[in-house]
Amino acid sequence: MSHSYREADHLPHHRRHGDPPDPRGLPRQRVGITPQMHGRYPDFDVMAGRRHWDEVTRRALVDRVEAVPACRFFTAGEQRTLRAFLDVVLAQDDDPRIPVLEMIDAKLADGRLDGYRYENMPPDPEVWRRVAAHLDGFDSLDPDARREVVARFAEGDLVWKNLDVSRAWGVVMRGALAAFYSHPWAFNEIGFRGPAYPRGYMRRNMGPTGVDPGEPREAFGLDPVRDLRERA
Amino acid sequence: MSPRPALGRRLIKGAPVPHDNDSAWLLDPHRRGIPGLESMSRYRDADEVDMVIVGAGAGGGTLAQRLARRGWRIVVLESGPFWDPDRDWASDEAAQHHLYWNAPRVIGGHDPVELGKNNSGHGVGGSMIHYAGYTPRFHPSDFSTFSRDGVGADWPIGYEDLKPHYERVERELPVAGQDWPWGDPHTYPHAAHPISGAAEVAWEGARRIGVRMRVGPVAITNGVFGNRPHCIYRGFCLQGCKVNAKASPLVTHLPDAIAHGVEVRADSHVTRIELDERGRCRGVAYIHNGVEHHQRAAIVVVAGYSIETPRLLLNSAGPGFPDGLANRHDQVGRYVMVQGAPQVAGRFPETVHQYKAPPPEICSEDFYETDVSRGFARGFSIQTVGPLPIAWAEHVLADGHWGHALREYMRDYAHWTTLGLLCELLPQPENRVTLAEETDRHGLPVAHMSYSQCENDRANIAYGKEVLTRLWEAAGAQDTLSIDRYAHLVGGCRMGTDPEMSVIDADHRTWDVPNLFICDGSVMPTQGSANPALTIMALASRLADRLGQRRVDPAGPAGARHA
Repeated sequence: MSHSYREADHLPHHRRHGDPPDPRGLPRQRVGITPQMHGRYPDFDVMAGRRHWDEVTRRALVDRVEAVPACRFFTAGEQRTLRAFLDVVLAQDDDPRIPVLEMIDAKLADGRLDGYRYENMPPDPEVWRRVAAHLDGFDSLDPDARREVVARFAEGDLVWKNLDVSRAWGVVMRGALAAFYSHPWAFNEIGFRGPAYPRGYMRRNMGPTGVDPGEPREAFGLDPVRDLRERA
Repeated sequence: MSPRPALGRRLIKGAPVPHDNDSAWLLDPHRRGIPGLESMSRYRDADEVDMVIVGAGAGGGTLAQRLARRGWRIVVLESGPFWDPDRDWASDEAAQHHLYWNAPRVIGGHDPVELGKNNSGHGVGGSMIHYAGYTPRFHPSDFSTFSRDGVGADWPIGYEDLKPHYERVERELPVAGQDWPWGDPHTYPHAAHPISGAAEVAWEGARRIGVRMRVGPVAITNGVFGNRPHCIYRGFCLQGCKVNAKASPLVTHLPDAIAHGVEVRADSHVTRIELDERGRCRGVAYIHNGVEHHQRAAIVVVAGYSIETPRLLLNSAGPGFPDGLANRHDQVGRYVMVQGAPQVAGRFPETVHQYKAPPPEICSEDFYETDVSRGFARGFSIQTVGPLPIAWAEHVLADGHWGHALREYMRDYAHWTTLGLLCELLPQPENRVTLAEETDRHGLPVAHMSYSQCENDRANIAYGKEVLTRLWEAAGAQDTLSIDRYAHLVGGCRMGTDPEMSVIDADHRTWDVPNLFICDGSVMPTQGSANPALTIMALASRLADRLGQRRVDPAGPAGARHA
């Protein structure tokens, strides 16, 4: 059976309680890496196109994958807490994981900030420290309890001294998403061809004929469940 | 580097070219940086140049190019770096973070405006380095919203004052688009770009609910234009154009300015405007490589945009101006504006790959003017946007999804296409830039920006989002996701006819200091529903004409018209 995703019944808005389907039903990645090795483009590896990129871009992306520095900003305790938190908000419940915590840590350690802070909030590095302090013990909770805490954090339904919870959610998620979705493994998962310079795009129309060379086709000719079973 | 003779260009048939700007011909077809920088004019700090301009963006870059052509000796001081796109830019969303003003700023009010990557540039070319490329004109109605609609303010100039400059700048960028039916109907020098499947489904949805769409207007070459290559539709407009297809002052005005003797001094952060004992500007103080310098100039022009321009004036307080330079009537920093820019994305059975092609594709200005039946004054425009993965993730998050739900929507990326609004939010005195207690690395107070919406603003945004949702339903979208956000910045040092209600006169001269001018987006009394870049450039072009033709006399008092 081939699966085309023409229907939208896999999307949370169309599902009971907004729960997405279990990603373990997706095909396993056969080429390259995706976070947790599942995705819709099992034969797509964005890094395979690297020889077509300009040198500056190639260096930026290769370093992002291969030269991840160890944490310098967060303490060991903060790392434990935040790593567990980031695994939940980004649904990274298995290896391989995109090293989001290390990527965030590098930005904070280098002082690469975003050019603004809310007047009732400290600068972002301090927000991260306070969030880590308020989430202390998060890593010892069971999975359901972790999701419950995150759900309340996302809703602003927590009372934290010295911290506007909704704004803090915005700060940490901005950092988490900027790290995760800058990583080539995430590009593999979502089928994004990534850097398109000096080679741009020639096909921009709808549907299967709009797929460029080097760009993945979404429809795959196998049953994801059987694929998983066979590869497990 | 000698400019190619204008005669040769006049003989070439095809799209119209500018007669008095060789920038596109001075660039190298195979390298992106401005050639010949090693032979750029260098002035000494002690030289009294004719003009020092603070900021190398849309306003400062255009003004410098125009007046250099008239022989003015000009230094442009830019806080950020002098970009060489080949060397400094990656074709990547995260790696381009250094394009933005990332130094600290504080935001507040009931509806704070996030700054940084959303609206604030840093470096030669200014925010146009990372704008999408949309370059619509303002409508004639934008210049008199107070008289027409009882909201906002009337400008001291009208559409007709800017029209010749719109036409001139559109040739220089150059702008590509269909014949434009809205506002003052006009055509564009370059034909419209082909559109993508993502824009086609939006077009079809619009057609079904009776909304007109047009392709463009975008400042992206579509055909031969000097040594600037054709667009390759890679979709990274907001990350800086590595192709040189998208217009910014770095490729449209500064090459010609430099060829005519302008010095662009990058990495030079101006800390204060200095006055002489007669209350006139003597020049500016700036920091370069950690050392303070003083550049002397006969005229000082501030072109630092809506946050940094007010901040510089406020940080230049001194004898005679205890509350900030040119701020005798407490107008500096007030009436700063942003556009309401919510986005609604629609999901379709086919893949549409919204990340391919420049984000600015098609546009509607059907809702631009006031329609009393809608229950609020003024309106909005509708435009395509093409979020790359990080921006798309922020969109999904804003709709309330994290964890597995977020990942699921992200995996569905190829099926989504996104429309955004630009809602005209009204200028209000309490929306303002002031100085925060916090200081930057130079020890200077940083800007605090306070922003709150009024009832008209909320009604406008709510109505517009409803239109977008209806449009996607009509197009057959299977699901929608929405995000509330803002776009652009203007106002903060507005022009006017009354010194007690504005900072500058119709010739951009501050009411309080005769040889101090402001030339950037901060001068706008209203913002319309148009992206501001083209209008900032047109204003600079007009100011250059008036200064160059001596119709405004820097020795005389403000408000004295010589035309």
